[in-house]
Amino acid sequence: MEGTGWNRREFVRAAALLGTALGLPGCVTATALDPALAPTIDELALANTVADLVIPATETPGAAEADVGAFVLLALAHGLEGARDPLAAGAITAAIRPHLRADGSLDHMRWLASALPAPSPSSLAALDAAAFANQPDAQPWRLLKRLILTGYYTSQIGGSQELQYAAAPGRFDPMVPLTPETRAYSNEWNGVEFG
Amino acid sequence: MEEDFDFDAIVVGSGITGGWSAKQLTEAGLKVLMLERGPDIPHRSGYTTEMKAPWDMPFRGKGDAQLYAEQYPVQRLNRHFTEFTQDHFVNDAENPYQQGEGAFDWFRSYQLGGRSLTWGRQSYRWSDYDFGANARDGHGTDWPIRYADLAPWYDLVEDFIGVSGSLEGLPQLPDGHFQPPMALNPVESAVRERISARWPERRLMIGRTANLTQAKEGRVPCQYRSICARGCSFGAYFSTQSSTLPAAQATGNLTLVTDAVVEKVDYDPVAGRVTGVRWIDRSDMSRKSASARMVFLNAGSFNSVHLLLNSASEDQPHGLANRSGVLGQYIMDHASTLSVAALIPGFEQVTTFGNRPTGTVIARYRNMDVMDGVGHTRGYSFQGGALQSAWVRGMREPGVGADFKQGLRGPGPWRMVLVAFADCMPRASNRLTLDRANVDANGLPQLKIDFAFGAEELAALAQAKADAAEMMAHVGGQVLMGFDRPGTAGSAIHEMGGARMGHDPATSVLNRWSQAHDIPNLFVTDGAQMASSACQNPSLTYMALTARAAEHAVELLREGQL
Repeated sequence: MEGTGWNRREFVRAAALLGTALGLPGCVTATALDPALAPTIDELALANTVADLVIPATETPGAAEADVGAFVLLALAHGLEGARDPLAAGAITAAIRPHLRADGSLDHMRWLASALPAPSPSSLAALDAAAFANQPDAQPWRLLKRLILTGYYTSQIGGSQELQYAAAPGRFDPMVPLTPETRAYSNEWNGVEFG
Repeated sequence: MEEDFDFDAIVVGSGITGGWSAKQLTEAGLKVLMLERGPDIPHRSGYTTEMKAPWDMPFRGKGDAQLYAEQYPVQRLNRHFTEFTQDHFVNDAENPYQQGEGAFDWFRSYQLGGRSLTWGRQSYRWSDYDFGANARDGHGTDWPIRYADLAPWYDLVEDFIGVSGSLEGLPQLPDGHFQPPMALNPVESAVRERISARWPERRLMIGRTANLTQAKEGRVPCQYRSICARGCSFGAYFSTQSSTLPAAQATGNLTLVTDAVVEKVDYDPVAGRVTGVRWIDRSDMSRKSASARMVFLNAGSFNSVHLLLNSASEDQPHGLANRSGVLGQYIMDHASTLSVAALIPGFEQVTTFGNRPTGTVIARYRNMDVMDGVGHTRGYSFQGGALQSAWVRGMREPGVGADFKQGLRGPGPWRMVLVAFADCMPRASNRLTLDRANVDANGLPQLKIDFAFGAEELAALAQAKADAAEMMAHVGGQVLMGFDRPGTAGSAIHEMGGARMGHDPATSVLNRWSQAHDIPNLFVTDGAQMASSACQNPSLTYMALTARAAEHAVELLREGQL
């Protein structure tokens, strides 16, 4: 089949690419993926494109180089941030309904392809603004944005190049000057958990 | 007494109190068998995720949500449960329990070291406001001990495990033998000063924590990573592995057996003594047993009660050491909730370096010498601290692109968080029973937990919320949110009671030495012995009670009474 959904060849290639991108060893205790949830090459490309619009390359690499798209697809398939939970009835609009799975959960990447047919800085900015203005059709973007940010700032690029990472600080200094140039520590766990 | 016992003592459990029992008894020259139901986790080599960064983990430290929903539906609710630490918690699907009408999240760690590997490390003495609480307001039964009985044992425990903290001179939170305190950050220092100026009785201080600020024998000071629950190769926080186990093993008197699920304590009705224990060897599901002159139960509050209930016999039909009928009753867990989160402006020019593994505490100040609680007669304290938002703030904010990225680069605004922990009243209706209709994979009846908070806890948390908001407004904070409903029972992970200590054998299970009223060679020295909950973290008190009970047991043995 061409044009809609995925075919087996695409599925195998995408799965292999995802595995490579994530560096998943063979013994990872991840739950088995439902084949119906397997990502496609097109979805991986879209996820990377959109992630890179959220976090572009500046003086440090952006989300695409950090393979954030692969993380987003893995996270969606495994239900991080509640991605596999059925949507609440009140959250289902006419624009969202066509992208629901049989179990009531949203196929976020199909929704995104529909909501953002031509990803660009301006079209994504408009979708993001609508989501944070509580426009119902745009709400699924919030979950995707959470996963993109998580994927980037927990990657080696985001966590140790864009931000800093101190594996063993060795001391606690309670007062350090904060300037506009200060880069946060990605392993400041309280700030990540409660911030 | 005949010399045909396999061991002088058997210790059931290797967690915070089991390690202490083993250390104290072996150092006194007793031959001790310590049984742990879970697998061995060797110090250092067993901490497999300790040195990993998020990008080294398949799910970046967040974990496989689908796996957690299927296998860890309770444990995943613990904030210390992550992809890094998931192997330090039980698989819920393999370790089922039953709940009554009220939900109870039972957080468990079945492994060598038990929850000493994953605990929050906050270490506080109780005071006579706590040991006298039941006698004063009439809830529960009076403790047969007071602070003076326990003070030297607190000294001993703090000296050995290493507790860092500040001396504050507060009667409700007695000072101890502390290593130098970790520092308050500038926001916390300012909040401390501003609160004290308005309310002298409210003292914000650094959390007293079992993390080292100075080296101890074989242990290195804290490296300020704040990833303790993964296990710490520096030995910088107290755990069985870092502290009590090496001491016990150094005596040459300890036999440690892991993967041993104890199912029964054996009882000789003629002698009126326990004679040993029976266990299931998880490696091949075979049944094994050993005999001893005495048994120490340190399986964790609820599991020690489970073991006593499951050790019922013709002579002890309602459970071992249950002549009173109160075994399993009067269980408690602190009622806790996020009382306030507030933005604290004015500190935009400062940040911190390093991850301090403790927060702050505001000691109890209600219902001490003036009964000023509204609708409750006991106390609450606040734990929390000031922190700066990390990149996660971007999840709540609009924006995409280079400017958005730049905006998430530095530390974010300072905010202060206060989480209330309130005393939990001892109630007979909050209880543990065996559900014989539902057995676990070992064929043992599951534990059933009936639990509900009552009017006193709800009133305390309502007053705590109002106080917290008032304090944040006073220090110039902008309140973001606050709650007065308790988190699900169990979520404080301070479950205790069920085999309470008391004066009267008719209304309590244990005497003032953590010793069964009716069975002189049976000791229960974990949280099961607690007769009230106080509002501070209980582990230090469990350790002090354990060391005290062990010395008493050794004395009785030497006097020929055991």
